[in-house]
Amino acid sequence: MQAPTPTPDKRTAVGMFFESVYRSIFRYGRLPRDGEGASYAVFNSLFLHIHPVKVAKHSLRFTYTFGLGVIATCLFVFLTFTGVWLMFYYFPSATEAYGRMLDLRSAVDFGFVLRNVHKWAAEAMVFFVVLHMARVFFTGAYKPPREFNWIIGIILLLLTLGLSFTGYLLPWDQLAFWAITVGTSIAGYAPVVGEPLRRFLLGSDSVGQEALIRFYVLHVVILPGLLSIFLAVHFWRIRKDGGLSHPADNDTPAIKE
Amino acid sequence: MKKKPTRMQQPEIDRRTFLSTLGWLGVGLSGAVGVLGNLMYLKPAVDYGPPTRIRVGRPDEYTVGIKETRENERVVVVREKEGFAAISVTCTHLGCTVRATEGGFECPCHGSQFDNDGFVTGGPAPSPLAWYQVSIAPNGELEVDKNVKIPAGTYLRV
Repeated sequence: MQAPTPTPDKRTAVGMFFESVYRSIFRYGRLPRDGEGASYAVFNSLFLHIHPVKVAKHSLRFTYTFGLGVIATCLFVFLTFTGVWLMFYYFPSATEAYGRMLDLRSAVDFGFVLRNVHKWAAEAMVFFVVLHMARVFFTGAYKPPREFNWIIGIILLLLTLGLSFTGYLLPWDQLAFWAITVGTSIAGYAPVVGEPLRRFLLGSDSVGQEALIRFYVLHVVILPGLLSIFLAVHFWRIRKDGGLSHPADNDTPAIKE
Repeated sequence: MKKKPTRMQQPEIDRRTFLSTLGWLGVGLSGAVGVLGNLMYLKPAVDYGPPTRIRVGRPDEYTVGIKETRENERVVVVREKEGFAAISVTCTHLGCTVRATEGGFECPCHGSQFDNDGFVTGGPAPSPLAWYQVSIAPNGELEVDKNVKIPAGTYLRV
C-alpha cells in the first residue's frame, strides 16, 4: 500500500530508521488526513479493522445500541486480566482455596481491589450480555442475514453463564459449596443425561476436591478459550453481515461492504 | 474580528501542543501508577512456606551422642553431654542438604565438608552451618526456632 502524501525528506538517518520501524508496524503514516488515508489506517490495524471502513450514519447514534456489546466485551477483557492476576495467589485445593481467598481480601496489596473488580465485572457481564441481546431483539437484528450471528450470540450467553457458574465455586466458602451442590443437583433432574452430567461435572458424588479442580480448569482455560473463539467469529460476522442492522435491509437483500 | 495582540509575544507552545502534552502526561502517570500497583500486588505478602518454628519431640527421646537428621525441616538435632543443639543441614554453598557422617557433615552436591560443630573443613562452602535456638515448649517438647541463629557450641541444658 502506498502512502498518498510523501513528505519532503529533511530527516536524519536515525529519524529515518525510526520512521521505517514505525512503518513496518503501522504501515500507514501518521494521522490520516483524507478518506483514502482513513481507509488505509483501518485496513492495516488489527484493532481498527473490526470496524468497517464505512459505517451507516444511523449506526453512529449512541442510542441505537447504547454500546452494550462493546461494554460486554470490555468487561470480558477486564475479567481476563484480573482473573490471570488472581491466579498468582489462588490455589484450587480443598484445604488451601478458602485461606487463599481470605489472604487476597486482607493481606495481599490491592488483592481486595482485584477480587472485587473481578466479582462485579462478572455480574455486570451477565447483565450487559442480556441487555445486549434485548437490544438486538428489539431492533430486529436477529433477522436474516444476521440469524447465524444470533445463534453465536446465544452460545456466547451460555458460555458467560457457564463462566459465572464455575467461578462461583472457587472462593470455596459456604455460599460456593451449597450453590454448586444445589446447581448440580438441578442438572441431575434432567431426563436420562441428568445424573451422568452431574457426576461428570463434580467428578464425584458430592462437591469436593474433584469438583473444585474441574470447575477451576473449566473457569480459567476451557470456557474463556471457547468464549474468545466465538467472540472472534461474532465480530467477524458483524462486518460480513454488513455492520449494524438498518431499515434498508428489508428492501435490499444484497449487502454492500 | 478581534485584533491580534501586537505587543505580547506569541506563547511558545500552542493550545493543541499543551493539551496533548498534558494528555500524554496523564496517560504516562496512570500507567506508572498501574505498574506500581501491580508490582505491589505481586510482591509476596503472605509466607506460604514451611513453618520456621518446629517441634522435634521430647528431650528423653534422644540419647547422648545422637545426631538425628530431620530432612523435611532441614535441621539436625544433636544431643551431647552438654545438652541439645539444632544445626542447619542446608549447605552454605548452594543450598543442598548435607548428610551426617562420622565426625561431621558432608554435602553430596559439591563435596563441602563440615566438622561436628558445622565449621568448614573442606570444599567450596564459604561459611559454617547455622546453629538454631532450641528451647523447651510449654508441652515439654523441644522447639527449634529457625529464625534465631546462635553461636556455634551453644547447647541447651535440660
